[in-house]
Amino acid sequence: MPGEIDLYGVYVPNLLALALATLLVSLVVRRALAWFGVYGFVWHRGLFDVALYVVLLQGMSLLSRWWLS
Amino acid sequence: MTFSLRGAIRVGFTLVVLLAAVGAARELWAHYMDEPWTRDAKVRADIVGVAPDVSGFVSEVLVRDNQAVKQGDVLFRIDRARFAIALEQAEAAIEGRKATLEQARRDRERYEQLKDVVSQQKTEQMRMQETEAAAAYRQAVADRDLARLNLERSEVKASVNGTITNLSLRPGDYVTAGTPEVALVDTDSLRIEGYFEETKLARIRVGASVTIRLMGQPAALDGHVESIAAGIEDRERTVGNGLLANINPTFNWVRLAQRVPVRIALDHVPDGIALVAGLTATVSIKD
Repeated sequence: MPGEIDLYGVYVPNLLALALATLLVSLVVRRALAWFGVYGFVWHRGLFDVALYVVLLQGMSLLSRWWLS
Repeated sequence: MTFSLRGAIRVGFTLVVLLAAVGAARELWAHYMDEPWTRDAKVRADIVGVAPDVSGFVSEVLVRDNQAVKQGDVLFRIDRARFAIALEQAEAAIEGRKATLEQARRDRERYEQLKDVVSQQKTEQMRMQETEAAAAYRQAVADRDLARLNLERSEVKASVNGTITNLSLRPGDYVTAGTPEVALVDTDSLRIEGYFEETKLARIRVGASVTIRLMGQPAALDGHVESIAAGIEDRERTVGNGLLANINPTFNWVRLAQRVPVRIALDHVPDGIALVAGLTATVSIKD
């Protein structure tokens, strides 16, 4: 269920928390991809990063739903 | 630019990830925007405004604030002295009227026996007097019943099972008939009302099971959709002075989905959850 998180009395949809968490995850993933030289097989790096972020966000969303249920 | 395998792999790989991102975005949108859930839901209960049926001084308040009461429990008493006296008066009036009626009956019987001596008119008058006396007697009985009812109604009782809330009535207050004095939250009517966007209504059906979370309380409540409101106010339209429709002349480019109340009956409430009317809830309907 899409819930909400308590930020010191302010309740915000947990999608916001997910988005922030995904940002951190994507930074790590991008660092790792760069380390393994995957960016050598990437056409437009900016486009790729955005697409990667959205995919990761969906992954985190699924993970959180699985975790909560 | 010459064709190279490496270039094709680069474009292909990026496009595959992009395609996956489009799919993921659609899924996310469906989950967060289209699924019938809302953070805009409230715990609701019907409030009975308990009003006395007679006016008078409050002599006794038998309940405390936030006390649970059963249907029929006495909430407060209005000073009975005046109503007791009124009943006494009415009973005395009955005795007088009864004596008058009996005398009228005896007179009428007497005149009927003296048929040859008294005039027809006099006998008829006697009959009329008896009928009048009987009517007056019945009126006195009705007055007595009314006085007794007033006396009974000086005890104000709870009309439903519920909880007294925001009680500020004190002995000595003067209460007038028909003015609500005590708020009684009807605990049998506790329910959740979810305010769903009209765009989500198509996916809500009556009887669907619902998960409810109250703000700040981790345990989930279970319920089911009981009914969907049949109408909401048309905000674009008012009735003008000439009884003609007055439509708002501005129409926004950006339109927001209106919200429709959906009534959710509670099936299971975990222990330790305080259902206070007015609490905020997040509800999610399984479709």
